[in-house]
This record gives sequence, C-alpha cells and structure tokens, in this order.
Amino acid sequence: MTIYDGADAPYWNGLTEGRLVLPQCACGDWLWPAVSQCGTCGSENIQWLEQAMRGTIFSWTRTWHRFGFTENIDLPFISIVATVEGCGIRLLGRLDDPDQIDPVIGENIYGKIGATRVGERDIPTIIWRRG
Amino acid sequence: MHPLYGTTAVAGIGMCQYKRGSSPLPEQGVLAKAIRIACAEAGLDTADIDGFVSYGDDKNEPVRLMPTLGIKELKWSSSIWGGGGGGIAGAFGLAASAILSGQASAVIVFRALVEGASGRLSAAVMAHHLNDHMLAAGLVAPAQICAIRANRMYEHHAVPKQAAEELVRASYFHGARNPEAVAYDRSLDLDAMRNSRWIAEPFRLFDCSRENDGAAAFLMVSAERARDLNKQPVYLLGCANGAEKGWGDLLENDDEQLYPTTGFRPIARRLYAETGLSPADIDVVQLYENFSAQGVASLIDHGFCTYENVAEVVKFENLIAPTGKLPVNTGGGNFAQGFIHGIGTAYEAVKQLRGESANPVPDAKLCLLAGGPGAPTVSSAIFGREIP
Ligand SMILES: [Zn+2]
Repeated sequence: MTIYDGADAPYWNGLTEGRLVLPQCACGDWLWPAVSQCGTCGSENIQWLEQAMRGTIFSWTRTWHRFGFTENIDLPFISIVATVEGCGIRLLGRLDDPDQIDPVIGENIYGKIGATRVGERDIPTIIWRRG
Repeated sequence: MHPLYGTTAVAGIGMCQYKRGSSPLPEQGVLAKAIRIACAEAGLDTADIDGFVSYGDDKNEPVRLMPTLGIKELKWSSSIWGGGGGGIAGAFGLAASAILSGQASAVIVFRALVEGASGRLSAAVMAHHLNDHMLAAGLVAPAQICAIRANRMYEHHAVPKQAAEELVRASYFHGARNPEAVAYDRSLDLDAMRNSRWIAEPFRLFDCSRENDGAAAFLMVSAERARDLNKQPVYLLGCANGAEKGWGDLLENDDEQLYPTTGFRPIARRLYAETGLSPADIDVVQLYENFSAQGVASLIDHGFCTYENVAEVVKFENLIAPTGKLPVNTGGGNFAQGFIHGIGTAYEAVKQLRGESANPVPDAKLCLLAGGPGAPTVSSAIFGREIP
C-alpha cells in the first residue's frame, strides 16, 4: 500500500478509512490543493474536517480512447470535477455512467468511496452518482 | 518604451519535420541539423552560438550540443518551466533577456522531439503533472484535461461548438497549400472529421493535434546585429509569460471565471500594454492549438473576440489567407502543418513576416504568436517585420 506523505496525506488516509476530510485554515479559508501554511493569513493552524460526500457537477468528460494508466477502467467512462457541498472545494472523481446519459453542469451528485486500480495499486477515490 | 520592444530579432530559422516514428536521425542529430540550417541562413558560424533556450521539458541539454556544432563557449542555457507548450513564446523573451543583459549574443531557441528519444509527448507532458488525484479519476492525458475545460466553456459559457470546427478547417485549408505541412495537398473530408472517433468528449480525433518527429531552431541576436546578417530580421516586439492568481496547477480549483479560459488574460493584458498594440493592429495570428476548443478560447483570451461574438469572428472565411480579416495558422498550425510541440507555429510566424509563407497575408507587418493554451504557465509574443 502507498504511504502518503504530502500535504494532502490526511485526505488519502481519510478515504482509506472511509471518510472525506478536507482542510480549513483557522481564518476560514479552505485550502485546496492542500498546503502546509495558509497563503491568505500565514497560519499553520489547519484543521481537517469531515465533509458529506454530496455536491454538484462542475464539469465532465466521457473518455472513449484507451489511454495508458486507465487499463482497469471500463470504456467509456466519465471523469468529473465535483464541487463539494459546503466547502466549495472541487475534487476530481469518476461518475457512475451505466446508461450513458450526458451529465449536466450543476447537477446534484452523491459519492461513495471506491478505488481505481492503476498498475499494481488501488487508489481510493470517490465514485459519484446522480441524485 | 519597454526594453523588449524591437531590440532583438530572429535572424535565421531551421526546421526538420518527419512523420512520427520515422525520423532518419536521432533526436540530437535532427536538432543540430535544424540549428545548422538557421545559422546558414543568417550567415553565422555555428561556432559562435553562445546561448540556448527551450521549453516544455526538452531533453537536449545545450552543453551536449557543443561538440557537434563546434561551439567555442557556452554562456547561457535555460528553459521556461512547465511541461506543456505554454512556454514556447516565452522562450523568445528569455533569449532576448540574455542578449539585452549582455550575458549572451547569439542565442538559439529550439524544441526537438523524436519519439525514440523523448517518448510520446502527451505522456511526457502528463508525467509533469500526474498525481493520484488524476490517476484515480482516470484523467491521465492532456486531451481529457482540456476536454473537461472545453465542456464547461461550451455548456456554461455558451460558446458554440461550431467555432472549433471553423478553426480546424482553416488550419487544414492552409496546411493543404503548404509544401512543408503534413496535410499538404490533401483536402479535409468534412464528414470524416465530424464522424471521427471520440477521444474524450467533446473531442473527436480531429479536435486533437497529433505528434510529429522533428526539431526547429531560431537564431536570436540583437536587432542591430540582425541587420548585418543575411536574412531580413523579424523583430521581437513584446513577450509576456506567466500566470495570475487563481490560475495554475490547482487540481481544477482555478477561479471560476478563469476556469474555461486558457490562462492568457494576464498575458494578453501585459503584451498589449507593453507594446502599445491592440488586437486590431495584429495582421496574422499563429495559434498553438493542442485541441480545437483551446484554440478558440485562446483567441477569446487574446481579445480577438468575446463569448458573445465568437461565432461571428471565428468563421472559416474570416480565418484564411489571403482574404480573411483574422488569418490564423497560415502554415496549417499544429493540426495540419505538424506538431513538434508547437514550434512550427513560431516558424510560420517568421516565414509570414518575411513574405515566405505558402499562404501569404498581404502586407503582413505584425504577427501574434500564442503559446500552448491551458498550460499552468502560458506565454505569447508579438513579432514585427519592422518596428512600428
Ligand atoms: Zn488562513
């Protein structure tokens, strides 16, 4: 298994434990991509707070070409940028697309933690569904 | 006047381009050949080259070129950061900085790409950015990242998809008439284009640039020295490079208004302010189009049109030489001239201003070169046949 040691390590460890946690500075700013110190106020007092896996679709693409590193994902598949409700942080993820219906920007979604197998690794990720 | 305005010039150019995987020489050999052509044009001995600039993680460290070119002393070697084509125009500004500050006097701007040596460009660009967030989402290629941005531009900002098709058609129109282009003497089959296979929606195959092997080199010297060399100088009038707050490698968390752009708004602002020029002054545009939608967005960012009037401006008839009001990619661009990480767009900028283009724009005096759109760091430059 992968040992995460970047500024976003709590995010990955959270997903592994079944929770979505995202970082907020004491000044109120949500910091994403994760950093060790807030660029607005300079504070290092950053709390990782659990967030509901609910949000909206910010944008999307449906991939049909077999790109390297996607060998374990069935084609076609939809990747989305999801705006997480409440904090407004955008996360990259996948959208379940059983009926190949085009997503709509702003559409409500909810997520469940799954994984994407890349090479020999299972990377935890949120699989989003409409609703 | 800004220090970059008309103080340096391109004095010689060379380009060697082959189908992907069919270069007759190894990468360094192709690059050295392009540099020799550029210097021969200018009448400058390659031994007197003293500087190099590249972009996009080019693998040819300049010091290694010294033996084959007989270079006496290397005084400047640098590169614009970033894995994409965003740095292409900025490379000319960097070369000018070396010359104007007296740190070098004959600087080669170059890009070389031969698959055997550098691998697939798309893979190299992504290796620069890839992380677990992207891998887990299945987002592993520039086409997909640009597709997500394009969908937001089309759907949320109501840019008509037709504009992208018009741009692709203009590139192929020019490419079909350019003997140095991969699409030379071939007409674009519109049905085949419209029904080509999906890559990542909204992009089909014909919305994507496809890589070639090859290299191009540009000899930059001071404007004064250029006037003593063999070829008509093409002056660098301005160059801007960088990113503004709310744009960059932000895991798609860019500022909402900047998100569907290609990052050029601050670049265009500075470029026009520092040259005293405006979009209306530009006679011809060489536009790096990695993907069709990003080419359209780049034109919007550079002030040639807006979200509202893009359909009226980005029209085939308007984009082609010699009759269009906004001739774009007169060599064929990345789509149809060829794609050596975009360096062919700079090559055509110089050819056009010298009057050597296969698709000449009547009395073209000013050419805008827009670098790789959508990259975290982007750049653009304006070149002139004379110094207005
Ligand atoms: Zn703060």
